[in-house]
Amino acid sequence: MAKEMFLAGCSAAAYGAALARVEVITSFPIRPYTGIMMELSKLVANGELDAEFVHGEGEHAQVAIAYGAAAAGARAYTGSSGVGVTYAMECYSPASGGRLPCQMAIADRALDPPGDFGSEHTDVMSCRDQGWIMGWAETPQEVLDNTIIYYRIGEDPRVLLPQFCCQDGYFVSHIPGKVVMPEQSQVDEFLPPYKHPHALDPTKPISHGPQIYPDQGPAINLQRAQAFLDTPAVIEEVIEDFNKIFGRDYKPFLDEYRTDDADFVFFIQGGHARTARFAVNHLREKGVKAGMVKLRFVRPFPTEAVAETLSKFKAVGCVENSTSYGGAMKGGNLIHEVRSALYDVDNPPAVTSFMSGLGGEVVSLEEFYSMAKVLAEAAKTGKVEQYVYWVGFDKGV
Amino acid sequence: MSKKKYCEKFSVPEHLTVPLGACIPAPVKEQRAMITGNWRTERPVIDHEKCNLCLNCFIFCPDSSWHLDEEEEKMVWNADFCKGCLLCVAECDVDCLDAENELNFKGGVVRLDKPY
Repeated sequence: MAKEMFLAGCSAAAYGAALARVEVITSFPIRPYTGIMMELSKLVANGELDAEFVHGEGEHAQVAIAYGAAAAGARAYTGSSGVGVTYAMECYSPASGGRLPCQMAIADRALDPPGDFGSEHTDVMSCRDQGWIMGWAETPQEVLDNTIIYYRIGEDPRVLLPQFCCQDGYFVSHIPGKVVMPEQSQVDEFLPPYKHPHALDPTKPISHGPQIYPDQGPAINLQRAQAFLDTPAVIEEVIEDFNKIFGRDYKPFLDEYRTDDADFVFFIQGGHARTARFAVNHLREKGVKAGMVKLRFVRPFPTEAVAETLSKFKAVGCVENSTSYGGAMKGGNLIHEVRSALYDVDNPPAVTSFMSGLGGEVVSLEEFYSMAKVLAEAAKTGKVEQYVYWVGFDKGV
Repeated sequence: MSKKKYCEKFSVPEHLTVPLGACIPAPVKEQRAMITGNWRTERPVIDHEKCNLCLNCFIFCPDSSWHLDEEEEKMVWNADFCKGCLLCVAECDVDCLDAENELNFKGGVVRLDKPY
């Protein structure tokens, strides 16, 4: 019988890292992700985890230390929230360009101003073009599993990319849920020890991040782009293997909920998907054909899977938890990707987006019901009135 | 529905391939892949008569462009990597270094084999 624990997302991430046998951990406090480092420092202090625990002087240093550790051949773990994530921005591209697969655990926090402790995805979504694998978990269980899964994906020789392993601050990071703890032997079978093709070695000196000629720049960028083209196949392989060893039922990219005969779906990522499931159940009881599609990876964005899945419905509402001020759709980020993926599809669904849950506000059931009204109308007419609705502020929602 | 595959494999010409993660063998002495001498507008010129081999230029040069030739007992300047910051001129204790405009020299600044 597998051991069950009652854990919040922060503790689940820490146990996931410990099970992944991380060798270098680097911390700096900021709410709400700090809980992860508190748990890990306890595990190290109690002798339950054999890892170097390095306290950085800031988030920029944290990621730089993780970069160095990964280059030295260690499995490196760090993390942050909100403005901490953006303070470390400079270090993200060197880590992905240098193909060093360290992991950054994120518990989202709204960016300033003003000082807001609430959850919002804008912190990490702002880093989505830095060449890191990126995705959100819905429950503490998924946080723990993703921590282990992301290392396996990122360290695959066909990938070699760092990873943002994200969970919503508070909604996931601080609300406990039941977590089935994997056996260490299962994790060891799934995740082999970290080996990098050019880990630092005094007998074979190499330069990391050297100066290059400008004509080599595109070639290096292309290398990263190629890695992202190769990653989806690796993700499918890894998820299949994970399901087999741990007895879970994860879909690689899109988790569909009650979509079989759905007229419209909520397209959503992260912790608010839990509320969306309840909203869908209640709407179904009233005869409304609603469904939910949960996105598991933002990078690599599963273009083909999104085109294939979402083209089955009449209307799609992207539930946005991040901002893209002045962007093409004047609201969030997901709708840009979704509409692009659907551009070449015959008879595409009507697609709109809902700004909600910003600054740590709960996306309530009532908000989902008002979104459903807009989507039911769009499904009927085949058209959307607006590309974006600010829920609670806009007419009709 | 039309299902498009966006791209599966980029083809990279041989001369544009770079090592994984841009990691290269560490240079033993000089990184010939990035010559910086052509950034220079002025260069330091040494008067060997006045030089007392105090090594201030060697110590202060941020690009290791001065070294002591122990057999000849004189300082040697590296034209390929000196960026012309002239810190050595400012730090020289015996005023044996002078700044001179690159245009006063035949050939001028160091040129790369392949100009940008």
